[in-house]
Amino acid sequence: MNKTVSIVDYGIGNLFSVSRAVEQCGGQPVLVTTPEEVLNAERLILPGVGAFADGMDGLRTRGLIDALKAYGQSNRPLLGICLGMQMLLEINEEFGIHNGLGLIPGRVCAIPSTDITGQKHKIPHIGWTALQKAPSQAQDWDDPLLCNIPENTKVYFVHSFTAFPTHDNHRLADAWYGGRQISAIIRKGRLYGCQFHPEKSGPWGLKILENFINLN
Amino acid sequence: MPRNIRIIPRLDIKSPNLVKGIHLEGLRVMGEPRTFARRYYEEGADELLYIDIVASLYGRNNLRELVRRTAHDVFIPITVGGGIRSVDDVTEILRSGADKVAINTAAVHRPALIREVARRFGSQCMVLSVEAKWIAPGKWEVYTDNGREKTGRDVKEWVMQAVELGAGEVLLTSVDREGTRKGFDLPLVKEIATLVGVPVIASGGMGNLTHLREVVEEGCADAIAVADALHYNRLTLAEMRTALETPPLEVALR
Amino acid sequence: MAVAVPAPASVDYEKFSPDAKIVEAKYGLPIDVQFCKRCVISNQRPNSAVEYKHTPESRKQTIHFDAEGICDACRVAEQKNGKIDWTAREAQLRELCDRHRSKDGSYDCIVPGSGGKDSFYAAHLLKYKYGMNPLTVTWAPHIYTDWGWKNFQAWIHAGFDNFLHTPNGRVHRLLTRLAVDKLFHPFQPFMFGQKSLAPKMALLHKIPLVFYGENEAEYGNPIADTETAKRDWSYFTAEDKSQVYLGGTSIEELLSEYGLTNADLEPYMPADPEQIEKQRVEVHYLGYYLKWHPQSCYYYAVEHGGFQASPERTPGTYSKYNSIDDRIDDFHYHTTYIKFGIGRATYDAAQEIRSGDITREEGVALVRRFDGEFPERFADEIFRYLSIPPSEFPQASRLFEEPIMTREYYELLADNFRSPHLWMRRNGQWELRHTVWQSETSQAVVHAS
Repeated sequence: MNKTVSIVDYGIGNLFSVSRAVEQCGGQPVLVTTPEEVLNAERLILPGVGAFADGMDGLRTRGLIDALKAYGQSNRPLLGICLGMQMLLEINEEFGIHNGLGLIPGRVCAIPSTDITGQKHKIPHIGWTALQKAPSQAQDWDDPLLCNIPENTKVYFVHSFTAFPTHDNHRLADAWYGGRQISAIIRKGRLYGCQFHPEKSGPWGLKILENFINLN
Repeated sequence: MPRNIRIIPRLDIKSPNLVKGIHLEGLRVMGEPRTFARRYYEEGADELLYIDIVASLYGRNNLRELVRRTAHDVFIPITVGGGIRSVDDVTEILRSGADKVAINTAAVHRPALIREVARRFGSQCMVLSVEAKWIAPGKWEVYTDNGREKTGRDVKEWVMQAVELGAGEVLLTSVDREGTRKGFDLPLVKEIATLVGVPVIASGGMGNLTHLREVVEEGCADAIAVADALHYNRLTLAEMRTALETPPLEVALR
Repeated sequence: MAVAVPAPASVDYEKFSPDAKIVEAKYGLPIDVQFCKRCVISNQRPNSAVEYKHTPESRKQTIHFDAEGICDACRVAEQKNGKIDWTAREAQLRELCDRHRSKDGSYDCIVPGSGGKDSFYAAHLLKYKYGMNPLTVTWAPHIYTDWGWKNFQAWIHAGFDNFLHTPNGRVHRLLTRLAVDKLFHPFQPFMFGQKSLAPKMALLHKIPLVFYGENEAEYGNPIADTETAKRDWSYFTAEDKSQVYLGGTSIEELLSEYGLTNADLEPYMPADPEQIEKQRVEVHYLGYYLKWHPQSCYYYAVEHGGFQASPERTPGTYSKYNSIDDRIDDFHYHTTYIKFGIGRATYDAAQEIRSGDITREEGVALVRRFDGEFPERFADEIFRYLSIPPSEFPQASRLFEEPIMTREYYELLADNFRSPHLWMRRNGQWELRHTVWQSETSQAVVHAS
């Protein structure tokens, strides 16, 4: 029987792509919009593109913030994608200081406009970048989300902001951009966040989503 | 710094067909767009670009159904352009499965649209499409309607203004080179790619792998859009990828 | 001396009121306007006619529509895509070439043209595919466009000898002005040379084989015309020169009143039929032997000769590669729009629909958007060209009530050439009474080919 995957619809983000990808991975996508639906979900995806403040506003106006915080404490699987990942953290510095859901300690800051040699580089970071081990990685690569995903697999990023979890052991995989490491996947317990878009990362991205759907 | 250059098949669509012209003119019917899209996905395209090239004629984008059907089994980013004139149009096309929109004519007529789209959906969604025509050394003019209408605007000034307004990426098409296989307009690409802080997709003129390397190494392009070379099976995505990943030749050899 | 060319009179708007009873159609045009159900052409399209006989009194033959409402040009396209055995036709071409091909590389055929996509294709194919030794001949446009000149050069540089005949600018301007005032037909003087130069060069150089590109029937002359490869003699010969009119004006008048000489007019005169007969000059349409597709000619010319489309859209249409070498061309199609309600977008779209390049729906939208657009880009230059100031034309100038052409003059003249069955005046604006996008039949029918 297909596993139900609840996708939070808060008026932002490309839900069509996420739903379609979940379906392709053998999941049963359901769009959820109310706190009750969030609280009752078996597994949840928090998608999102666009500005952080708009995203949080979207959650707030639908009364979803407390429900998401509660869900986050419940040890059920949650996957934040892109903006959805960034909202899992505590603080965001996009156009002023904003509070996130605070489910994973850390902050979200702009990618510097120059690389480590001081050369100007392109923002947003758009493109296919390889997933690699985080340097001070406490966790192993063999996380269930990364099951059968080789190191250096390229996935699709598009973002101008990047997450800095307070604790290094919340960084599961990184990607290099401009000579710096960017959090590509973060994890705390069964809460996951992907800075890239698994639903837009071809067969490997689908594999990551499938792994998420199959988390026990 | 190593750069991950994106290779983006560009599919110009007219009514139900994939078409291809020279200088955006004399459009030849190539076939069913979805078949091409699917093939490019399987062969490892980084993204896809759909442009409805008769949209401004009908005053609407006609690609929703095509995008919906494509997004059903293609799991890479899809950018859709042509005839997108309002935030509502963007909402519609994103709902159909597109990830970004490329806007040219409507942005030229009403630059505030760029800000509205970037505000509502994020800059990463707002691709400024520019059709550039050479007028003098170091000077290009903005055209609209598939290279048919002049605007009197300077490409550099326009791109800077648009990025200021929130464009997160620039699709830069050379009207002079499009479909000619003579190589990219390198001065144009370089000028724009080094001018703005957002990624620039070079489009128009790729005839061989040397052109591809040139536009990346000398033109500083962040991505390239390819139509002709792929549609006519002159090059494969794998060959292009290999060419990009091969280390640059020694200076002495060139 | 009396004024021979009065300034245009003011127009009686009564006949053009939206609810006026239509009793008059100018130029012998069909009074009921109809649009082809397959393309976008209307039944008002005149057939190509012998320009030497064209006077203000001439009545037009127009394109034939059959019982199903399909125009002859679409029927020809149907034949091109079905009935005609192109392999057999090409074999005939090879045979024709074999009969004429020179052994020593001397010229064996004449290919007239401008170096546009069609003549590029014709000459290049004859030389490089069929092993002929063409001499190309060109009758210059009124005023070259920059890109037209470059394409002309590119053609020659693709491997051809060429004779360019540029008519005397003063004579050409005068004839053009007369053609505008009397016939509203600025392109006419060009057409004289376009049709007669090649046969005359054939006589001069003793090269008895001439190849044109397409047959006029592809655009709507009677279908019977396509059943022969040879061009109708009447297009380029006139047995009796007293019957010849240039710019709607008799030769006699041009000589006696306007101060022109026989030598001035010689380039416009048709070839001598007796000589044509004697030297057995044959004029063939390549389009009879090869399936002609203008868009493919464009591709061919780009690939083999660096042909360049115009850098800007031609006013009045959407296209950039069709007939782009003459600055007066914009006005040619503007005048057809005034006289017949058919502008350049209609001609272009009709052709591309027949060739399968665009759908009818798209064609209708293109016509709606572009047809009849006033050609601003070269207007000032063209009005200067059409002016006959005393300083340059001491004698002819006096025959014009207003020798200087202005925008106002042109527009009033245009109004005099509007037919009440096509045009109406509403809220101070001219509007076509019938358009392809409003015609019911056009909406009900889908493109079929």
